Amino acid sequence: MSVGSVPAGYEVKDPGYPTPEENYLTNSRGLLTWVFTLDHKRIGVMYLVGVSLAFLVAGLLALGIRLHLFAPDGWLFNNEFFKWLAPDKAPNDIYNQVFTLHGAIMVFLFIIPSIPAALGNFLVPVMLGAKDVAFPRLNLSSFFLWVAGAVFFVMALLASGLDTGWTFYTPYSTTTDTSVIMATFGAFILGFSSIFTGLNFIVTINTMRPPGMTWFRMPLFLWATYSTSIIQVLATPVLGITLLLLIAERTMHIGIFDPEYNGDPVTYQHFFWFYSHPAVYIMILPAFGVISELISVHSHKRIFGYRFIAYSSIAIALLGFLVWGHHMFTAGMGPMTTIIFSALTFTVSVPSAIKVFNWLATMYKGAITLTTPMCYAIAFIFLFTIGGLTGLHLGTLATDMHLHDTYFVVAHFHYVMVGGTLVAFLGAVFHWWPKMFGRMYNELGGQISALIVFLGFNLTFLPQFVLGSRGMPRRYATYDPEFAALHEMSTWGALLLGIGLLVALVVLLASLVNGKKAPANPWGAATLEWACTSPPPFYNFERPPVVGDPYEFGDIQWDGASDRYVKVEPKRESVPSETPAESPAHAGE
Amino acid sequence: MIPAAITPLADYTESKLSFFPESASTFSSDTDWIFNFISIVALVFFIAIVIALFGFALKYKKAKGQQAESQTDHNTTIELVWSIGPSFLLIVMFYFGAQGFLAHRTIPEGSYELGVDAYKWGWGIDYGKFVIHPELHVVAGEPTKLTMTSKDVIHSLYIPAFRVKKDVVPGRFNYMWFKATQPSEKVATDEELAQLAAKDAETNASWDYDGRQFTPDGYAFYDLYCTEYCGTNHSEMQTVVVVHETREDLDAWIKKYSSRSATESPASYGEKLYQRRGCKSCHSIDGTKLVGPSWKDLAGKSRALASGESVVADENYLRESILNPKAKIAAGFQPVMPSYKGQLTDDDIYSLIEYIKSLNPDAAGPAAGEQPAEGGSEEATAEAPAE
Repeated sequence: MSVGSVPAGYEVKDPGYPTPEENYLTNSRGLLTWVFTLDHKRIGVMYLVGVSLAFLVAGLLALGIRLHLFAPDGWLFNNEFFKWLAPDKAPNDIYNQVFTLHGAIMVFLFIIPSIPAALGNFLVPVMLGAKDVAFPRLNLSSFFLWVAGAVFFVMALLASGLDTGWTFYTPYSTTTDTSVIMATFGAFILGFSSIFTGLNFIVTINTMRPPGMTWFRMPLFLWATYSTSIIQVLATPVLGITLLLLIAERTMHIGIFDPEYNGDPVTYQHFFWFYSHPAVYIMILPAFGVISELISVHSHKRIFGYRFIAYSSIAIALLGFLVWGHHMFTAGMGPMTTIIFSALTFTVSVPSAIKVFNWLATMYKGAITLTTPMCYAIAFIFLFTIGGLTGLHLGTLATDMHLHDTYFVVAHFHYVMVGGTLVAFLGAVFHWWPKMFGRMYNELGGQISALIVFLGFNLTFLPQFVLGSRGMPRRYATYDPEFAALHEMSTWGALLLGIGLLVALVVLLASLVNGKKAPANPWGAATLEWACTSPPPFYNFERPPVVGDPYEFGDIQWDGASDRYVKVEPKRESVPSETPAESPAHAGE
Repeated sequence: MIPAAITPLADYTESKLSFFPESASTFSSDTDWIFNFISIVALVFFIAIVIALFGFALKYKKAKGQQAESQTDHNTTIELVWSIGPSFLLIVMFYFGAQGFLAHRTIPEGSYELGVDAYKWGWGIDYGKFVIHPELHVVAGEPTKLTMTSKDVIHSLYIPAFRVKKDVVPGRFNYMWFKATQPSEKVATDEELAQLAAKDAETNASWDYDGRQFTPDGYAFYDLYCTEYCGTNHSEMQTVVVVHETREDLDAWIKKYSSRSATESPASYGEKLYQRRGCKSCHSIDGTKLVGPSWKDLAGKSRALASGESVVADENYLRESILNPKAKIAAGFQPVMPSYKGQLTDDDIYSLIEYIKSLNPDAAGPAAGEQPAEGGSEEATAEAPAE
């Protein structure tokens, strides 16, 4: 439908393109205007750069791991080059430090802050229709805390490495002579960064919704962010205390975790997983939110079961607090405790399954355009389904006895964390890239990156399920020769995955140089962030936006003449003659 | 998830169609059954989801600007069905899983009892009467109970073929049991073994379990791994499980290792203890710095202590270091060695000291030729002949 064909009595609304002065990237210039910015969008962009760098480092470490495991006796770190690098270290030590740093950086510096902090900061206020978050200064400080935490991790790496695994299990972590204190202090600081972000979002969503933005008119990404923030605020302090206790144990031998001083090492595991299991949902819930948006927008269809998805986010956030014990089925808990944890673990799988069914139902009879974000969203559903279903093997007690701490677990959580969170993150970046930077990227390049990432990822981690069920323990620097073929496959897959990620990076960066100007609403979405120009102006909206149903696509029309989506609305009289009779199905009471 | 696609890689498993290692205990078939049940349920759901996912993506693919055919956004009945329906399958999984777990946790009366000591980085299986050996030997058809503790950090004992795993935690005892069903075959004759042992003695190599796939006694074995990350040599912390057909067979094997035979020299027996009792994971005999000081050129020499003093490494110092390792810490090393008090007989300690002395040709004792040993790996070094 072209603009000319708009029926009488309707008018076309299209914010057009921003002028150079009115977009947040250019309204003030100079490095200091970024460093001291209080604009949530700039903070979001800085986070995006930061977490991407962290991901790059951790990803290269992952490639190192896979290359090392190419041969049963270890290939990479037995090389002459590494002997020169670390003359008094055994090759196994280098491997142990590499996998530890891979895990610690990925979890603490990338996966946890990626979607909530980088994309959440950019999107939450705009989607909500607010000018900024509730506490802009707290927001900026959370970013600099993230930087400080990252600095501590780098210092730990440069000092004497870290070889405890990202979980810092006692009593190994209280006895090893590597930089445990530096790294745990880094994680402690990062915890504050995470708490501040969560606190900010909770207050923002509770208090800064514009008129008309009822709870049930919020986009599902906001529901996901809200649930995530609840976990961040409630669970992270436990990690902080645990890490402080660990430091106290190391320095003062207070005797909580170390059996040598009458401590109990399993207590540490309880404390640690009381945070870190909910943290798994900090990692995946925002991804659920992203996918709900992506599937709905690129299918041009109302999200199916809005309320079920919204409630299931909250349910996951709450149930996620009750299942930490499933990390310790083999640690020697009482039988009844173990069985209860197993039962609770199954309950948390139900809301996740609901979401998958709802996404599929959303696609049913939609008008699906296979854009890059949609390709990533489809990849997400495929990979997350595998990740979720293999969780059943691990939640079931008898099979967990066999599979715990093997490659089956490694494969399972990589399917959830990488196949889930990372793929959702990439989909989200491609989806909101035009909004963030005002440029369109090469669509074909983006689709190719999605395909390579999908294939590379499966080739990397499918063999690991088999490795695990055949008994290959995790965190091994060397392994029995019978596992070699599967490890080789996995390593080739990792290289392919690396290429896919590189393609994605090149496509995005190239768009900044020679991308077409992005229209306000390139996908035909109905949420508020698409109602302002791309990139958004400094204060997001000229005047308070008119809040409608976030999934009502009926009045978003493709305008062939100007090659973009526009919003078609009934002409407003200065005094309306009559109010529209029907209200959106999700409108709040 | 499709076994047929991956089976060409299943080289060492008994059945080429299996995802699993050999099945050798009473737990194996139960665990595999539940695993397969869950896998089939998961596969059914997965296939349905994938068909819907890609099917919808292709069928409803539309050119840009088209409107969706329908905007239906909820159907409470369907949503309740797909929320509650699969929960019944979850209950079934949970039930069988918990039942299997309780079987793991219910140790039968009158089990054959063994002690397990885990340390960085090895296993000591206690057969009683000072017979401690890194290999786990059990009897087929008889329930075996392991009482396990760790001397340093958390380890985890895992026998894939038995489908059992339990963390070994310092400061407490953890228990597990299993009933092995498939006895290990004896695959090498005594002559072959003697030849291999002679060859190893020549090159001073330790027994290559992975390469030979049988134990120094000629038995085929099952792998036993540590699965809780425990530092530098975590991935080398492996041993083997041998299942004997009868109790007599096992007792004969234990007897073979019970003490030094009358004809064996203490130094030679000490070398066996060095291999067997975990000394070699921390102390080299070629001068390489591992976790602990090397034994090469140790006996009789003066050595600096962490406290700043120095001490002559005589028999008394060596004995004290074995029984009370934290009393005098060598400079440049961490105080991490566990005490062997109560774990070695006087003769064992005597043999170890004689072995250490034999590694220093200058020290008192039957000194013999000094073979070059510089720069070689642990296996390839010379050992002072003591026999």
